[in-house]
Amino acid sequence: MNNGNKPSNATPPVIPLGPRRGGGPMSARLNAEKPKNAKKTVARLLHYIGRSGVVLISLLVIMVLVTVAELLGPFFQAKAIDTIAKDEITGRLTVDLAAMQGYLVMMAVIFVCSATLSYFQGILAAHLSQRTVRAMRNDLFRKISRLPIRYTDTHRHGDIMSRMTNDVENVSNAVSQSITSLFSCVLTLLGALVMMLYYSPVMTLIAMVTIPVSILVSSKLGKFMRKYFVRQQKLLGQLNGQVEETVTSYKTVVAYGKESESVEKFGVISSQLRACAVSAKVWGSIMGPIMNFIGNLQYVMIAATGGWLMIAGKGGISIGSIQAMLQYSKKFTRPINQIANQYSGILTALAGAERIFEIMDSAEEIDEGKREVSIAELCGEIVFRDIHFGYVEDEPVLKGLNLTVKPGQKIAIVGATGSGKTTVVNLLTRFYELDSGSITIDGIDITEIPKATLRRAIAIVLQDTVLFSDTIANNIKYGHPEASDERMRAATATAKADEFIERLPDGYNTLLAESGSNLSQGQRQLLAIARAVLADPKILILDEATSNVDTRTEMHIQQAMVALMKNRTSLIIAHRLSTIRDADVIVVLRDGVVAEAGDHETLLALGGEYSKLYQNQFAGLST
Amino acid sequence: MKKLFCYIKPYRFFAVVSPLLMMGEVLADLCLPFLMSFIVDYGIEADGLTKLTADGGFASFVMSLLWGSSYTQLQLILTFGIMMLVITLIGGFFGVSCAYTASRAAQGFGNDLRCDTYRRVMSLSIEQTDRFTTGSLVTRMTNDISMMVDFVEQLLRMFVRAPMFFLGGSVMLLLLEVRFGTVLLLSLPLLLVTLIVVLSRAIPMYSTLQKKLDGVNSVVQENVSGARVVKAYVCEEHESQRFADANHALCDVNYRVLKLMAIVTPVLTVIQNGAVIALIWIGGIRIDAGATGMTTGTIMAGISYVTQVVMSIMMVTMVFQSISRAMASGKRIAEVLDTHPVIKSGDRSGDDCGEIAVEMKNVSFRYPTAAGRPVLHDVDLKIKKGETFAIIGATGCGKTSLVNLIPRFYDATEGEVLINGIPIQEYDLNDLRQGIGYVMQKSELFSDTVEGNIRWGDPEATHEDVVSAARAAQADDFISGFSDGYDTMIAEKGASLSGGQKQRLSIARALTRKPEILILDDSTSALDLATEARLQKALRERLKDTTVIMIAQRIASVRNADRIAVIENGTVTDCASHDELMRTSATYRDIYQSQMKQTEEGGNEV
Repeated sequence: MNNGNKPSNATPPVIPLGPRRGGGPMSARLNAEKPKNAKKTVARLLHYIGRSGVVLISLLVIMVLVTVAELLGPFFQAKAIDTIAKDEITGRLTVDLAAMQGYLVMMAVIFVCSATLSYFQGILAAHLSQRTVRAMRNDLFRKISRLPIRYTDTHRHGDIMSRMTNDVENVSNAVSQSITSLFSCVLTLLGALVMMLYYSPVMTLIAMVTIPVSILVSSKLGKFMRKYFVRQQKLLGQLNGQVEETVTSYKTVVAYGKESESVEKFGVISSQLRACAVSAKVWGSIMGPIMNFIGNLQYVMIAATGGWLMIAGKGGISIGSIQAMLQYSKKFTRPINQIANQYSGILTALAGAERIFEIMDSAEEIDEGKREVSIAELCGEIVFRDIHFGYVEDEPVLKGLNLTVKPGQKIAIVGATGSGKTTVVNLLTRFYELDSGSITIDGIDITEIPKATLRRAIAIVLQDTVLFSDTIANNIKYGHPEASDERMRAATATAKADEFIERLPDGYNTLLAESGSNLSQGQRQLLAIARAVLADPKILILDEATSNVDTRTEMHIQQAMVALMKNRTSLIIAHRLSTIRDADVIVVLRDGVVAEAGDHETLLALGGEYSKLYQNQFAGLST
Repeated sequence: MKKLFCYIKPYRFFAVVSPLLMMGEVLADLCLPFLMSFIVDYGIEADGLTKLTADGGFASFVMSLLWGSSYTQLQLILTFGIMMLVITLIGGFFGVSCAYTASRAAQGFGNDLRCDTYRRVMSLSIEQTDRFTTGSLVTRMTNDISMMVDFVEQLLRMFVRAPMFFLGGSVMLLLLEVRFGTVLLLSLPLLLVTLIVVLSRAIPMYSTLQKKLDGVNSVVQENVSGARVVKAYVCEEHESQRFADANHALCDVNYRVLKLMAIVTPVLTVIQNGAVIALIWIGGIRIDAGATGMTTGTIMAGISYVTQVVMSIMMVTMVFQSISRAMASGKRIAEVLDTHPVIKSGDRSGDDCGEIAVEMKNVSFRYPTAAGRPVLHDVDLKIKKGETFAIIGATGCGKTSLVNLIPRFYDATEGEVLINGIPIQEYDLNDLRQGIGYVMQKSELFSDTVEGNIRWGDPEATHEDVVSAARAAQADDFISGFSDGYDTMIAEKGASLSGGQKQRLSIARALTRKPEILILDDSTSALDLATEARLQKALRERLKDTTVIMIAQRIASVRNADRIAVIENGTVTDCASHDELMRTSATYRDIYQSQMKQTEEGGNEV
């Protein structure tokens, strides 16, 4: 006889919104205003990349080869140029063309090899990045599908979408660009270091002084900069949220003339994003010059100490080795510079990765049930024993609910808004977990049954019908794709949905637009009922399932429903008398406990809560 | 596309300054090799100082200026070393300033474009936003705009750098030896052909890429908002598969793009080094032929200039690559910007004339994308001012479509809708909608506080107004039960509220605007009759002059209405008061019977 169909009933849903400040147990971990441990994030990212082991190893091997080729090239180039010599006597330049030709051919061969290799390098890098990203995105999605309903109830959907696309995209870019160049940088650095050590260990040591400086600077600066990148991704998520929310509820926005206000709100976030992006870019671009400076400092230090050592005649330094040292010092700076230039990309990726792992780290639905139960053999006896539950701590909705539903019984739950009707459904399907007490089906505690089995035994029709952008046929077959068309048509006929479907130009093959916006609310409910009929469950739950269906259609469905509910345990939440009157037992919930229970006549005779509700209903009809 | 670039105009100062600053950075970059060579040639070489005096020039000038006639090599190293560092700093300063101005311009451009695109989306008619899906609009607004911003930023930073290197390099090369020009003549066309071939194939792929991204977004959106059903039907695996398919499609295109682009670097390597080889060979032959002016140094210099030219082309390639991405994204944004709302606002504001609040003359309506029979046909209606007008009818008969015409969510395909006797098209849209309170069948709440959501109806409403509206909507009781009361935050679309609570909040929202016309589209379906009866009583007291149009399923909800329209198969079959309909309308009696049956059986006579 009344309302109350969505997750939280009696107790105030004080669960605050916003992606990060949720009230649930998992949200404590979710506060990521500040960048977290970068090392851990990198390690986890590497773990992902490491999954494509073979590709990664072949990529690394090819990169070593490419680096070698790139070192060999200049070597032969120098040889080729060295064939030009000054004739000691005449002072004129001569050239050994034959030798030069030989070296040039060598060069050509090396470069063709190197080009071929670097082509494969590119392909492998693409392969690696796309595989990594694909795996990451699939994992993320799988994870989201395993999160408790509480998570999606309390997080902005647009923000979740943003993590799925924008953040993963950023990681993808970093993997395909930065990882490869990072590795080749490290290779070049190592090569240069070895050569420098070969020429002069002392001067190498002096040159190395700058290394801790660059590490210190980059880590300090990096820590400072990261907050901008983290904030940038967060704002992007907010922007997504704003668009998603206003577009899905566009009719209401239009009806209330809130377009300009939404635009204003969007503008605020957008300009925050702009400011943040500029800061991020500027701070990101500072890295390059600083590294340049440190590199040049190293160059000057080598030159100065080299010159001083030479003049002082210490360390056995030759001019040649100083020159070589300086050459390698330049080689040293280049890769570091390259890394510095990709710093913003890497930071953006890290910020994105953090947001991805944040979801990955959220607590999953608990599903420790191991007991395999054959659905076919279930009788469908449900016992609720001393149930305590609240969506928010200290605000209980159910306070010691006891209820026994016998197999095949049709039970109606009524009660005022917030009395906890839908909560009962949420707990039975384990969308939410009990605080205390137990629910058993045929004497088996539902926590012992694997969730998939439990939910397969139950079919549920909600007031807010969920349809997917797919054909009508596939929407009805949802959850049972193997069902034959005959069975589907029979289910549709039972739900009285066949009439309007057959009137559609494409019939069952009609593609539903996003969220089924081309159907009326009542038609959508009929489809959802057809879906439940097809599922042929042991336990049927109708949560305000026909509230938008007109009463005559409902009457038709009613007959089918009676047939459907036969031999099944059914729980019905409704406010229409027609739907609940015939129930075997009507349960009145009040203050989180069962206030009255019995059949229609008994309860009316009792003259309590139900008879009051019934009189109201009746009063509504007669006045 | 062209239109999009107008958005850069307000930031032209930054857009012009940025390349200039880049010049500063490039010049500093060009200075450094000279200073380095001074250090090597004069500071390290044994006879460096004598060579310096012999060569003269800038280095010797600086040294004598600073140190007079006598200085050591160490002093020289330190002098030029410090100069190097100072120039590095100056160059760095230019670089950072360039980054700042470039990103100011690009982000400003992006911000304006984003806001305008969103503003356009917010001005579109319902059918148009339906056509772009939510997922796609979200991608366009964020991802596509980011692509454009990246592109502008890159363009500004490469705008000067690449041409400077290219021109500088080519000129210097030709000055060295005209014959080196043949190397350029041979290698450049080859390079261009490669680029054109690659890019012409990549550009279409980028639009596919964005489309696939929409696909991924849509699956996520559906799953997040439909999580309950997915779980209830144990379809997590099925959905994961569906997502994996969308994801695969996206990654596949991405992979193909990257694979295509992978050809560019090797081709550049080959061309660059081919040029170097050719250069050395030409040099060798010239020397062999005894040409004067050709030395090892010339060849070395030639090599570095050729490298510079090829590198600058590499930069251009990068710009081109982001052009192709930006073009694909730009097209998608332009698509939104070029969509003009099909429902155009008039300029008339509400006059208060006539007795008839809403009139429909021979109205037919069909959804723009739907084929088949029209949803509504031959509808003739007159709803008087202050009247409570109810609409009843079977599922899918067109009730919602009918009331959708009043705030002009859609326009009638044929016929005329008049409000206060004036054709609806003549009204200013905002004024028209301002006078209407519309409560949807599916309550739509927003991430805001309870009070914020109610105040949607009237931003000027005081707290008292909000409370009084909530009270009338029978929402005050449960709101007060929340520990934060009216300040309770509504989580994602009110997922944490019950259906009845959401409906009452939506009604309170409509009430705060004190509408002339209140439309209740089956929006009390989740209320029990007692609450509904109280609500209706409160409405009657509060809204004496308001025209109330209500759709309902229950006879009990409509029987007190002044008139009730019965809709069947898209047209009004009967329209009269309850008592009269009971006498004259078979359909109405049928509906009545369907609802009264159980009451009678229950032994409670009407």
